[in-house]
Amino acid sequence: MNGPEYRVPSVELAGVTRTYLEGTAEEVHALRGIDLTIGSGEFVSVEGPSGCGKTTLLNLLGLLDAPTAGEIRWDGRSVGALTDRARARLRLEGVGFIFQRFYLLPTLTARENVELPMRALRVPRADRVERARELLREVGLTERERSYPHQLSGGEEQRVAVARALANRPGLLLADEPTGELDSGNTRAILDLLVRVREARKATLILVSHNPEVAARAGRHLTMRDGAVARDLREA
Amino acid sequence: MKERRLSRGRALRHSRLQLALAVAAIAAAVSLPVVLISVGGGVSAHELANLQSAGSQIVVSTSGLHSIAQSHTLAQQILRIGSVTAASPILSVAIDAFNATGSVDPVLAEGVIPAEFLPTVSPVERALFPSPLPLGEPTDLVHFDNGTYGGPANYSVIISTPYAQHANLTVGDRILLAPSPNPALGVEYNITGVFGVPPTVIGPTGAFAVMLPLSDLQVLTGYGPAATSPVPDGSDTIQVSVTGAAATHPAALQNVVDAIQQLVPKYSVSTLSQQVQQLEAASGVLTGFYVALSSVGLTIGLLFLALVLLRRVESDRRSIGIRRAIGLPGRMIASEILRAGLAISVAGALIGILVGWAVVEGLATWATSTVQEAAQLAIFSPVVLTEIALGVAGLSLLAGALAARSALRLEIGEALR
Repeated sequence: MNGPEYRVPSVELAGVTRTYLEGTAEEVHALRGIDLTIGSGEFVSVEGPSGCGKTTLLNLLGLLDAPTAGEIRWDGRSVGALTDRARARLRLEGVGFIFQRFYLLPTLTARENVELPMRALRVPRADRVERARELLREVGLTERERSYPHQLSGGEEQRVAVARALANRPGLLLADEPTGELDSGNTRAILDLLVRVREARKATLILVSHNPEVAARAGRHLTMRDGAVARDLREA
Repeated sequence: MKERRLSRGRALRHSRLQLALAVAAIAAAVSLPVVLISVGGGVSAHELANLQSAGSQIVVSTSGLHSIAQSHTLAQQILRIGSVTAASPILSVAIDAFNATGSVDPVLAEGVIPAEFLPTVSPVERALFPSPLPLGEPTDLVHFDNGTYGGPANYSVIISTPYAQHANLTVGDRILLAPSPNPALGVEYNITGVFGVPPTVIGPTGAFAVMLPLSDLQVLTGYGPAATSPVPDGSDTIQVSVTGAAATHPAALQNVVDAIQQLVPKYSVSTLSQQVQQLEAASGVLTGFYVALSSVGLTIGLLFLALVLLRRVESDRRSIGIRRAIGLPGRMIASEILRAGLAISVAGALIGILVGWAVVEGLATWATSTVQEAAQLAIFSPVVLTEIALGVAGLSLLAGALAARSALRLEIGEALR
């Protein structure tokens, strides 16, 4: 479960632009020529007002989307122009997503949700069950492995989501407002959990949040405005 | 959060309702061909079996209103061909029968030469008739040996068991037979016997039949009083039975057919196997018709399935988006949709087969006579049922592929919103 199993890439954006509805009257410039390098193992918070391009940036970093212009590189290798299938494979093996609304599959139990990414990698059933249980134990949900998402509290759902994000030992963890729907107690618990797993695995963690308490835990702070990085601040 | 769960519960119930409707649509679409093909196939097989046990290997016939002229003379000529053991002219005419109560029933009258008829039918059919046929006359052959018929008629008739039961008639009763529903044109006959009829899909009313000497029927059906005008020597069919090599070797039988055809170049001369082939071809056409008719229902069912699957993709867009965001391969997402379509169609097909079977059983138990008898002949062939189920399953993959394509085209970011 520790470092060597995790492949932690450095991520680089060079002149990345993302425009929606390009060429139409409703054209939206979500990102405008972003140049950014995030080193392996960094903990970066992304802040900024609504609509400034935080989620678009996260989607591009996580290969959920492709740039309209510019280049995205993982460990120096261009990935922005990969096929859908190749991007999906990289996401499966290298990226763990944690969403504001948890996005657990309602028809699967907590353990099955955690097993899902491993199933896609054809991990043998016994191995993936063992690992899913281990991850659920790590996030404090040993007793809830057979519960369905609707039987869990918001904090528990997000902990399952964290366990799922870690299932395939990703080197890059992307969290989009992971505490946005949680109370302060659960916010602190989830944040502690994210910090703990990042440190244990030396993974890169990029976290979008409006919450200053959350952002304060990061070592680097990106502030975005109008689709561009307005400030890039590193903790001493 | 609570509101989201309630909404999720409603969505789940809605989704279940859609699934149930899709299964019901497929089941309804499958039950139709099950009923049509099982009943149609059963009836065809039954008629084929009847034909194959008919006994007469060759039939000389004519179509339309034109009768076989000089049929007695022709029968005598056919009898002189080697291997021919019997040749029986037959005239089939629909007439009216008046019983003692004055009620009238349409019946099928068969005019035969008593001594020649029975040797041309199969042992199974022969067992249905009294032997020899109690039709009184020495035989029509005697009359025709001297040229045209000169009478007098003996006025003997035998009637079918279903008609005897219907009209409450027994041997010794008298019955008025007429060429039309006008009793003034009728001639009174003595009932001298009854004969059975094989099970048939045309129902008991269709099995109302009488049999009388050929010449008597010719007189009865409007060619004038026998004493004053000659009767045309005609029939619509001559049944011929053969023996020896002709009975077992197609080539030898064809020689006999050719010999008869030389005698009557303008008439149709067909063998039993040819008639079987014709019936099988007709049966094949009917099956094709059933399949075409059923395909309309199946198409509607599968379109409904495609719509339900597309609707599921739409309602599951977030789940699909989550799977794709995690990085699950497209084939895994597509296979889940295909499996869902397959499960719905297989469940629908199985239920449809059960419903079809239940409908046929219901018809065989409670339907009106003709439909009931047809349903009782139904054959549920496992091969055909499997083909129907596999066909539906195969087509459902097309519907699933359509939905899978739509799922894989979802924008992940859009789907997660």
